[in-house]
Order: sequence, then structure tokens, then C-alpha cells
Amino acid sequence: MRLEKCWFCSSTIYPGHGIQFVRNDAKIFRFCRSKCHKNFKMKRNPRKLRWTKAYRRLHGKDMTQDTTFEFERKRNRPERYDRNVTEETLKAIKKIDKIRVARDARHHAMRMKGKKAIERQAAKKELEQGIPLVKAPLALKEDPSLTLPKNKVMVHLSQPEDQMVE
Amino acid sequence: MAAIVASKWFRGRLLMGNLSNSILGSLGTPHDITRLDCTGFFSQQLRTFIQMRTKLKVVDNSGAKWVRCIQALKGRKGARLGDTIIASVQEAQPRGKVKKGEVVYGVVVRAAMQRGRCDGSEVKFDDNAVVLVNKQGEPIGTRVFGPVPHELRKKKHLKILTLAEHIA
Repeated sequence: MRLEKCWFCSSTIYPGHGIQFVRNDAKIFRFCRSKCHKNFKMKRNPRKLRWTKAYRRLHGKDMTQDTTFEFERKRNRPERYDRNVTEETLKAIKKIDKIRVARDARHHAMRMKGKKAIERQAAKKELEQGIPLVKAPLALKEDPSLTLPKNKVMVHLSQPEDQMVE
Repeated sequence: MAAIVASKWFRGRLLMGNLSNSILGSLGTPHDITRLDCTGFFSQQLRTFIQMRTKLKVVDNSGAKWVRCIQALKGRKGARLGDTIIASVQEAQPRGKVKKGEVVYGVVVRAAMQRGRCDGSEVKFDDNAVVLVNKQGEPIGTRVFGPVPHELRKKKHLKILTLAEHIA
């Protein structure tokens, strides 16, 4: 059993899934689903579509260079079955998975560094520009702080009660 | 730092001896984007059954260039990938084994219409192509050009498979 990669979005194709197109020069294009196949037929470039792995790799969204990827390489030489090796491998899979997830998380954290400050700056700018909408310019002159004025509204609760009695 | 952590965790493990974070370690699967544009023919190819009057390319050295299907030997709607058809030769090279106007048998080795595989996935090709065979199913020519599907093994066309350049 071999798990192939989709030519378009680089996701894993499990046996029995998807469609493959064989060009006349014998190059095989495998697609995981009709979405990828249709996009290929429309001659779209996977590097320009944001949902593909090719785009994410190209634009530094995902971790690209890591030794944990070395393990899921295509190997054409069949391994001779060895019980010990199989056991070791099964143990290793879990550990490698853990390492990959951790490295991925670190990559994401590094990528998101400084995002909060940028968001705060943007919010501050928006507040400064839009303050006349919520605070009248005259009121702003009296109280130059950007905090919103606390409006006190008198509510007469007694009146409706009187009406109820009547 | 990752390399240090990794080496600490996997000291002495033979299987993971090379787990270090080298830059040249792995790159993504390369996509040959530039080749994408030469599939213009594919979009124009009709994707239906091989039925009466379908023109097919002959991909062997029997001498015929194009044949026209006059009968599909299997299937109510027409022939598909791997099926045998009867065809008439439309265009042939001079001094070939077959001549124009001859009625020949052929095996559909490539079809633009997708065909289900034994595992449930599907396969389709660029064009509609046949290899000419005699009534016993032995190929007339001695060479087969381009890719052919491995389903021909099931149809007992082993000779075509051995002659083929690529098996998809």
C-alpha cells in the first residue's frame, strides 16, 4: 500500500480515492479530489492558490525545512520484514510525530511574533480617527482623553407603575 | 536548539541517527508548473465512450495512423479503456502492414474518459488510442508508443504490456 501525494494540494491520497491523469509523455498527475482535478483542468497555478501546500510553503506559512519530513520520503526499495525493526519503527512514529508537532507550533509562534503589537497599533489609529463619531468634538476639547463619556440617563421608573395601577 | 533536543532524546537509536536539523535536509515536492501549459489538447478531447465513428490514434508500427471505430465488441454504450473494438483504417502509411480501408481489430490502450480502477480510484489519459491486433488478440505491430494502463494484464494483453514504453 502506498500513500501518494496530490499533485495540486499535496495532501495524502489514500488508496481508492481521487483520480489520476496520465499525460502522453507518461507523467502521472494524481489528484485527491475533484476540487484539485478541476483546478488543474482550469490550468490554475497551485502556487497562487492560498489553500494549497505549494502556496503555504512558498510564502513561509508552513515549516518547510525539517528533518522530520525526511521520514515520509518515497522509497522504492522494499524493506525485508524484521520484527525488531518494525517494533522500533512503530515506537519511532509516535516520537517523530510529537517532535514534528512541537516544531510546527514553534514555527507558528515565531511567525505570529509581533502580530499583537501590530493589531494594537491599528486599533489605536482607528480609535484616533474615529473618535468624533462617538465623542463630540466639543466634548473632546473639554476632556481630551479618548475614553468614552459615561452618559447618565435619568429613568423614571415610577410613572409606568402608576399607569399600571390605573 | 532543536538539534540538541533531538539528539538528547534519541541517543543510541539506530533508526533515527540522522535526525538533526540540517538546512539542506528536505525540500517540498517539486511541482513542474511550467509543463502545465502543454495540456491544451487534453481540454479539447471528447471524453465519452469509444463508439461508432470515433476516430482513434494508432500507437504502434503497424502502418496505420488513424482508425475509425465501427463496432465496440463489449458494452452497450461503447468501448472503454482496455476493451477491443473493430475499426476501419482511415489513414495509413505507404508500405505498412495494414492499408487504408481495411477492417481491423484494436485494443483501446488510452481513453480520455475516466475508467475506474480495481481499488476504486480512476484513471484517464490525454487521448484516445488503439493498438491494432489480429482476431486472436496478438498485436500486428512490433512496438507500442506512449503509456498504457496496467489493466491490460487483466484483459490478457500481456504482449502489449511487454512492448509498452511506460505502464501507468
